[in-house]
Amino acid sequence: MDRSTLFVYATVTLIVVVSVVSGPAMGLVDLTSPRSDTAGLGQGNATVDEVDAPDRVRIDRGFQSESYRLEVPDARVHLAAVTGRPILNYRIEIPALGYTRTSSHFLDSDSDGWTTLTLADATLSESAVSGTRHEGQLSIVVQSNGTGSTVYNRSVVVEVSR
Amino acid sequence: MSVDVGAYRWVEPTRQRAETVKRLAVRVLVGDRLGLVLWLGTLAFVGLYWRLGFLINDNYTIANALVALSEGSFSFDTATYGGLESPGTNARDGTYYGRNYGQVAFALPFLWGLRTLSAVVDPGLLFAALWSLVVLALALQVGRLTGHSAAAATVGSVAALAAFVGNAAVATSIDERLLAPAALQLSAIVATAFGVAVCYRLVARLHDRRVGALAAGFAVVATPVGFWASVPKRHVYVVALVLGVAYALARSRSGTDDDALLSATGFRALAYALVGFLTWVHAAEGVVVFLALVLVDLPTAPSNRPRDLLVIGVVFALSLVPFFVTNLVVSGDPILPPRPLRGYDGGTAPPDIGGGSGGSEVNGGGVGGGGSGDGSTGSGGGSGSDTGPLAALDRVAAFFGGLFSLALWSLGVVQALLGDGAQQLLDDPDRLYRIFVRGGFISDVASEDENQAIYLTVTESGPLAAGVPAAVLAAAVTAARRAGRVSRDALRVNTLAQQARHWRRSPTVATDWFVALVATGFLLVYFPRLPVHATVTVRYLLVFFPFAVYALARAPSLRRVVHKHARAGAWSYVAGVLLGAQLLFVVVTVRNFGRGEAFQLHALVGLAVAAAFAVCAMASVLDARADRPTAVTGGLAAALGTDFLLLSGLVYFQYGPYALPLSDALAKLLGIA
Repeated sequence: MDRSTLFVYATVTLIVVVSVVSGPAMGLVDLTSPRSDTAGLGQGNATVDEVDAPDRVRIDRGFQSESYRLEVPDARVHLAAVTGRPILNYRIEIPALGYTRTSSHFLDSDSDGWTTLTLADATLSESAVSGTRHEGQLSIVVQSNGTGSTVYNRSVVVEVSR
Repeated sequence: MSVDVGAYRWVEPTRQRAETVKRLAVRVLVGDRLGLVLWLGTLAFVGLYWRLGFLINDNYTIANALVALSEGSFSFDTATYGGLESPGTNARDGTYYGRNYGQVAFALPFLWGLRTLSAVVDPGLLFAALWSLVVLALALQVGRLTGHSAAAATVGSVAALAAFVGNAAVATSIDERLLAPAALQLSAIVATAFGVAVCYRLVARLHDRRVGALAAGFAVVATPVGFWASVPKRHVYVVALVLGVAYALARSRSGTDDDALLSATGFRALAYALVGFLTWVHAAEGVVVFLALVLVDLPTAPSNRPRDLLVIGVVFALSLVPFFVTNLVVSGDPILPPRPLRGYDGGTAPPDIGGGSGGSEVNGGGVGGGGSGDGSTGSGGGSGSDTGPLAALDRVAAFFGGLFSLALWSLGVVQALLGDGAQQLLDDPDRLYRIFVRGGFISDVASEDENQAIYLTVTESGPLAAGVPAAVLAAAVTAARRAGRVSRDALRVNTLAQQARHWRRSPTVATDWFVALVATGFLLVYFPRLPVHATVTVRYLLVFFPFAVYALARAPSLRRVVHKHARAGAWSYVAGVLLGAQLLFVVVTVRNFGRGEAFQLHALVGLAVAAAFAVCAMASVLDARADRPTAVTGGLAAALGTDFLLLSGLVYFQYGPYALPLSDALAKLLGIA
């Protein structure tokens, strides 16, 4: 048996053995980290020291599309004393267009310090967008133990460019 | 390692027997080693961007039907996935049924396999292990094919091991509940791989292996066939089966192989049997393909002796048995497929014929005209008492009554679907532009797609298809030349007879007409509904993409380009994939494009390249000096198809964990950028 053939057998053996040894039947090692562990989520607390949030939100005409893109810049928060796994919500509300959107960020004790909060871009239909300038509301809420405490709530300018 | 031959005398004969079985399996299933390479290559390629989960909500229906079938029942009372109101779920007698049961049945062994394997291997690592083994097998086969076995084995081992270790390092757990959709997806990927292999076999048989391999490879990596490969809609199964029919048809016209496993009549029967299975997957499409096959096969067959027709008829009838049985269980009527059940929801249920006594009840009456909901071809079938000595006779009569009704039902479908399509095509030909050339933002479509312009036309999503006009031009030029030659010695009986004989014997003539008729049939059937939302790449016409590649391979000028300017084409393809994908990604990221906008970017770039390729390819037909630009633009057109697959697979659509943890990690990285 030449060396390359031996190599092939060794590879197959290794892949099979590692797969089986780490599998549910034997379970000697666990190679997979949990994808979304919801245990204890929303429990605990966090203190927000400082918030660096945008003061302008844009709604731009979509490329080659008769629709609009809502673009909310990231916000940054400085966290201290995170205990448990509280949730941080970042939320935009544009009452004139009847629009709200919220993103959730799961925190844990590693989250101390600066954290960036993102709000994914959204596509709005042509009929849902009117005017050129609106007032919106940006808020950041800490969800813990079933209650939400608002740590930031300011109005922003929503600019519509057609 | 050494084996004591004396103690293990059974080893060598067993190994030889296994070798024989392996060789036979490779020959029957994928043709030859190159076919096997394409088959494995398809699995490896699609595996790169395989996301476990549901892209489209009517896949819930199929997955629920699969779970039910794995528990021994066609029907389900609760939805394991999604809801009972998912599109395609039908209610009858207080329970729920899915559809496309042919596809569901094909996925069943995959579900058993995955459930068994997941008992010993963590699902989070299972797909990575399988993928590494596929890559290793692919490398070994490429090595045998190119004569560099040792080097390929080493490289393959290193690659497989590196991929496995990398995947294991970033693996996350995968919910067991994803195994059923994963089985459906895996079966779709395998079906795609068979489609690719049979595409290679078809083109290689009509021309040569190089053109065949290239056509088959491009069919999956450069067209939306690769997009739908891991989405268990019916489309890739239909593609694989239709190509299988085309291949069997071509084989039935070329009796050159001494060692062929089937006779010419055998291959004809195989073609009809594949149509029977196709009917099980999707009845209306099965009818269209059946009509195309009959129209081409009967007039051009080498012989239509009663014996041949009997063989074909019996095989075809047998291939329809699963379809009949499924219908009987699901709709209570053997010829009423699950799909049109929807039309009967509101109180007008199909006549209940009191089940319980098996196949004896065939009620042919009140059969609707397929998916369009209109058309009402009533027909009489056998029915009567199910007791007494007449029962058996009654059953036979009922069966033939059923066949008769099926024929009438088919005609109803033809009338309703094809006729309607033709009428609308004449009334509104502009819509062809929205299907084949430029889609853009279509309000009615986008409003159903969350206002995103994610509808791409055939050319936008697979720019390689733009070469089809050139292939048609090539065919016209050839025909004109032949006509010129015929007219010189016009009306000489010998010449005409010779021509007629050539047509009867020619596998290319039969296959060309079959492909053209199926394409026309699909277009007419779906024209009234197109353009429609949630089709992404006009998926109803997915079969057009392998057909387009087939058409390109049939053009003599493009085959000349492949043989003489392969290097230029290859470089332009590689550059188009490596640089093009990055450029597109950078534009999408920097300009903060949403999904719809990114799609439109792909569409516009694709159309530009497609236009260049179309012009060059047509010039190539007329003058060989255009061959080099044709190779370059063709490579780019193919590359844009690949770019769309890679970026849609890794960036634009995220709906579940990737089968390969490394792809998951890469997609997350690209998502942050």
